[in-house]
Amino acid sequence: MSGPAPAAHSGDVPRPWAGLDGVVRVLAPEPSGPGFTAFLDRTLTHQGEPFAAERIDTLQAMSAAFLADPLLRADAASVAAAYWMRRAQVARLREEFQRRSSDASVVRVPVGRVLHIAPSNVDTLFIYSWALSFLCGNANVVRVSQEMGPVVEAMFGALRGLAEAHPVLGAGNRFVTYAHDADATAAISQWCSHRVIWGGNETVAALRPLSLNPHASERVFGSKFSYSAFAAAPYLAADPAEGARLASGFFNDLFWFDQMACSSPHVLFWVGGEREVAAAIEAFEASLQAEVDRRGFVPSVSSAVHRRAFAFELAAGADVQVALEHPGFIGVRVRDAAGLARETCGGGLIRHSRLDRLDDLVAFAGEGDQTLTHYGFTSEALSAFAALAGARGLDRVVPVGEALAFDVVWDGYDLLDDFTRQVRVKPA
Amino acid sequence: MKSPARELLDLPPYGRTQVEKRADLTQRIEALTRFHYEACAPYRNVVDRVFGGLGRVDFRRIEDMPFLPVSLFKDLELKSVPDAEVIKVLTSSGTTGQQVSRIHVDAETAQVQSAVLIKVAQHFLGKERLPMVILDHAGVVKDRRSYSARGAGILGMAQFGYRPFYALRDDMSLDLAGLRDYLGTMKGRRILLFGFTGMVWQHFVQALEASSLRLDLSDSILIHSGGWKKLEALAVSQEDFRERLRAVAGIPRVVNFYGMVEQVGGVYFENELHFLQAPIYSEVIVRDPVTLAPRPDGQPGLVQVVSCLPTSYPGHSLLTEDLGVIHGADLPGTAMKGRSFEILGRVPKAELRGCSDTFQTRAA
Repeated sequence: MSGPAPAAHSGDVPRPWAGLDGVVRVLAPEPSGPGFTAFLDRTLTHQGEPFAAERIDTLQAMSAAFLADPLLRADAASVAAAYWMRRAQVARLREEFQRRSSDASVVRVPVGRVLHIAPSNVDTLFIYSWALSFLCGNANVVRVSQEMGPVVEAMFGALRGLAEAHPVLGAGNRFVTYAHDADATAAISQWCSHRVIWGGNETVAALRPLSLNPHASERVFGSKFSYSAFAAAPYLAADPAEGARLASGFFNDLFWFDQMACSSPHVLFWVGGEREVAAAIEAFEASLQAEVDRRGFVPSVSSAVHRRAFAFELAAGADVQVALEHPGFIGVRVRDAAGLARETCGGGLIRHSRLDRLDDLVAFAGEGDQTLTHYGFTSEALSAFAALAGARGLDRVVPVGEALAFDVVWDGYDLLDDFTRQVRVKPA
Repeated sequence: MKSPARELLDLPPYGRTQVEKRADLTQRIEALTRFHYEACAPYRNVVDRVFGGLGRVDFRRIEDMPFLPVSLFKDLELKSVPDAEVIKVLTSSGTTGQQVSRIHVDAETAQVQSAVLIKVAQHFLGKERLPMVILDHAGVVKDRRSYSARGAGILGMAQFGYRPFYALRDDMSLDLAGLRDYLGTMKGRRILLFGFTGMVWQHFVQALEASSLRLDLSDSILIHSGGWKKLEALAVSQEDFRERLRAVAGIPRVVNFYGMVEQVGGVYFENELHFLQAPIYSEVIVRDPVTLAPRPDGQPGLVQVVSCLPTSYPGHSLLTEDLGVIHGADLPGTAMKGRSFEILGRVPKAELRGCSDTFQTRAA
């Protein structure tokens, strides 16, 4: 069915997506449902209510479906996503949303129709982006990469299983894929009232020029660089249990996405004197390797080859010391600024650098920096640092182990704001 | 520096037992390591910063001496002679957009490389030059200033033949009539055929099979090289490859060889058991891909190639991105002494999960 354009918009809305049915493949929630173009037509008048009960119920059901899937249950990042969609966690989000809506002169409404361009390989990120927008009451089109991993396949499988019992999914949401086709993205960009591009730089550069409908807004997330700071003395003084907890948290930060997420740390800054820091690095690497052994983690051959080549190349050009003795990762002690270039290697390569004071890190911070994970600093020191480094571009300061935790404030922008509009109401 | 391989040129290339060969080669690799350490700053940096400096290196075993990942030649200019002495720069083959290795060769390295190749090839071909059929098109070697790995390989082999005949047209179609005429004029003589594995398969074996015509090359030897990837994708085994060559052209002897532009002189020809064989100038080591611990015979791992030849650039010990397995040394069933090994494939390109780009870069 080609669906007549709805009355409210029919006069002035062009339909550049008319030819997309053969191009766009719908993966979920109903792969065999009505045509994609009919969906776009129909949802031009989509109306949803933020945090409606049926939406919260749907996420709760998704959470349960994820945890019931053997493959997803074994994937730590998917389990985290499932927990994030649970009723109790969503209730906290709703409270946050209601706090923002407490001003009687503001009514928050859905932004309308959201196009999400998911990153190709952070398998779980698209779920957060979609779930938040879905909770805010929007219609959604989520474009994922054609090269889906088994995790993403399993998530779509779970979604398809819920479509019948939760009609709100099929009514306003399509998870799709299509070939690298600027025309398809351009057409759907005319449909949406908000577009969010989850990076990185090349994707943003390629897609941002595609024009949006005149009333639409946009959020883009470029490639980011993240690092970590440890105070050496408190680290050395920590008891073994604390050291093991840190190693476990750092392991997650490092390896959940093969150290290729925007928030994965690449440089570990140690604050302290020469000797202290040397001892702390040694203890830290031993502790991280022990965690690697405990989890029985073996890096892929590709990762091992790739990160080794990166380390050798670093050694050829910068004053560094490369330690190849740990099978889980490569540690590189960096002694000059040439070794601190914002290149990302991934796959388990950590560069260590020493600082006298945390404030010395301010000068390093720059635009495109995202997360600092930290250990051993006072909250006053961190707040002072955040003000200075944040002004230079850093987005986020969180404890070790929380680098990849999803937050409604992402890269400094509030997604609850992005996915809603504020209607001012002034009684006479 | 004179290439340490020079002193080996009068010896038969497969004449030393593994024990004899190791004792000799270990000293030559030490000498090259020390030379390149002095002559090439980035190499010195790597030795100092990854291997702890020459003082920390145990020179009693080649396994304990420094090596470079082969990919380093893609990003860095590594050479141990002044620019004025570089007579050619070899580049690896790579698909468009891929970075290629750049290998700086001086007169000494080029001469000894050529001499080593002659010694090894003569082991298979004898001292007399043979009429030669090149299973490629002549265009590959036209521009002599920029040798591709493919062109350089053909020119390197061409010195063992005479009246080279390029059996493929520029459009890669098999010039069957021309080939028959050529073979007619060479009747009664042993023929040398050379080509790259994938092309031999696609443009010779398959072309002949499609035409249902057969050739009589019952007195010939085919030498081929190049990745096995294409054939593996088609599920063609090495045995199939030899068998089908015999069926379409009666070729009785097919010899594969392994080597890479990054290590000139490191040539590994197949022995009678169809394993690759390390001659007296070279060695092969297999390591655990993650821990780098040397692997015993029979256990697969990452292949390291060692050659006492290159003096113009630090390519004497390279960790490749190929997976392989050593089958032993001085094996019964072959007169060729030294280590026998097999290449199992290439390490897949790192495909890391992460915030990588949704779309590949493409022209708008």
